[in-house]
Amino acid sequence: MRKLHPLGLVTFLVLILVNLPFLVIIPSSFTAAGYLSFPPEGFSWQWYTMILDRPEFIESFWFSVKLATITAVLATLVGTLAAMALHKYKFRGSGIVNGLLLSPLTVPSLIIGIAALLFFTRIGIAGTFTGLLLAHILISIPYVVRLVLTGLSTFDYTLEKAGYMLGASPLRVFWDITLPLLRPAIVSGMIFSFLTSFDNVTVSLFLVAPDTTTLPLAIFTYMQETLDPLVASISAVVILLSLVFIVLLEKVYGLDRLFGLNSQSH
Amino acid sequence: MNKKLPVILLTAPSMIVLLGVFILPMLMMLLLSFQNDAQAFSLENYLLFVKDPFYAEIMWRTIRVSLWTVLCTLVLGFPVAMYMAQASGKMRGIVTMLILAPHLISVVIRNFGWVVVLGDKGWINELLLKIGWIQEPLRLLYNELGVVIGLTDAFIAYMVLAIATSLYAIDPSLSKAASILGASRTRIFLTVTLPLSLPGIIAGTTLVFSLSMSAFVTPALMGGTSVKVMPVIAYEQIMSTLNWPLGAALAFLLLGSTILLVTLYSRLIETKRYKEVFAS
Repeated sequence: MRKLHPLGLVTFLVLILVNLPFLVIIPSSFTAAGYLSFPPEGFSWQWYTMILDRPEFIESFWFSVKLATITAVLATLVGTLAAMALHKYKFRGSGIVNGLLLSPLTVPSLIIGIAALLFFTRIGIAGTFTGLLLAHILISIPYVVRLVLTGLSTFDYTLEKAGYMLGASPLRVFWDITLPLLRPAIVSGMIFSFLTSFDNVTVSLFLVAPDTTTLPLAIFTYMQETLDPLVASISAVVILLSLVFIVLLEKVYGLDRLFGLNSQSH
Repeated sequence: MNKKLPVILLTAPSMIVLLGVFILPMLMMLLLSFQNDAQAFSLENYLLFVKDPFYAEIMWRTIRVSLWTVLCTLVLGFPVAMYMAQASGKMRGIVTMLILAPHLISVVIRNFGWVVVLGDKGWINELLLKIGWIQEPLRLLYNELGVVIGLTDAFIAYMVLAIATSLYAIDPSLSKAASILGASRTRIFLTVTLPLSLPGIIAGTTLVFSLSMSAFVTPALMGGTSVKVMPVIAYEQIMSTLNWPLGAALAFLLLGSTILLVTLYSRLIETKRYKEVFAS
């Protein structure tokens, strides 16, 4: 055995720190007490059954799922088309288009949220599902474009050509050749869009209607007023769900390949 | 060759979203920020810092908190990046996963976890009280310390990955050569590893600084009502006070000062680097 390297020790401590919030939320959610305590007192499922008595959390959960699903599908569609144009055709202004598509990443979410609210109020879609959806698609597009462009960088166009030469229609070529080859990139784009939308607070904050809110916002609002183990149990459920998606993402694409492109989720 | 049509068809949907949800709204926001109470053009909203020390104080607090966050992520993140660069493929994968995965889970939930840890009745305080090291709970939350802890947690992954990327790119034979020539490990670190990782450090510090300046959720949840930063003030102007022009101007002032500081910083580093080149 080689002895523990000081770098290894620091790394270990940082990893614990970064994951500490989750490590404490799970045990806290099973407390039998009526308040957050250390160590959690007793064991009970009461804070999980309590979720069922809070329709606002259940409703906002399903609202978030719906929003994130539609966002994922549409952002992936729109972003994939753009990425394909960027990669396949070397057209004039492609640099500008590329820059524009990635620009929502470099502008703070806060500004995107405020700008969208002001504009949507003017055109009458503030507080509507459409407005919120459009904003979520906007912030997801850069991820999809980056992921699909990376996928395309190893794409072999001779396979498409072969398809055409064998008499396949453009649609058939797209469906049977292009799409399957790009599947990992496209699926990762979709998962990433889903998570981006599902977890977003800063943009949604300005755009939700009072009666329809997303789950993170519902938790955010609740947390500003009360701090009890209910937040812990809801958070535990979300953590579990997110983990499923993260493992999926890791399997489909590899998390390390994703890094460098996720710079705007707060 | 006719390639105009496919290009237009393929890019149109995304360009429409971008134009309608991003570019036009930003332009409108910019125009609105120059409006005074009488809806006439005015620079009033932008002269705040000169007129009202209240806003200057908030801006300074925002910068201060962001600088502390940069420092904390750098000090904690650099060793992690170095460890990753030296680790075996499998270990590197595990560390990457553990540093990135929390990043994909809602920041609200992570902040809640920190409240459970740091609060007056949080795990740390309860523990320290029980073993008798403290008589009164430490104030770890709802002050600038709490905000810095939250932001460090939120953004450390960017710092680690930015530095790790530049460390991966260093040719390992360089340190080997230095070692053969008799350089100590400290010397190798200071003259080879550190200078060559500078691009990563610049990228990481710049990114974390920009992200911290505009962070809203963490300061709102972990700073409480007494530690307000620019994004929180801008939010309040828009959503509570309904002074949209002022809120828009505050947001642009924040963005402008972030860009200005980041530009100044990279200028400073660049000149310093050239100096080194000239000296050698």
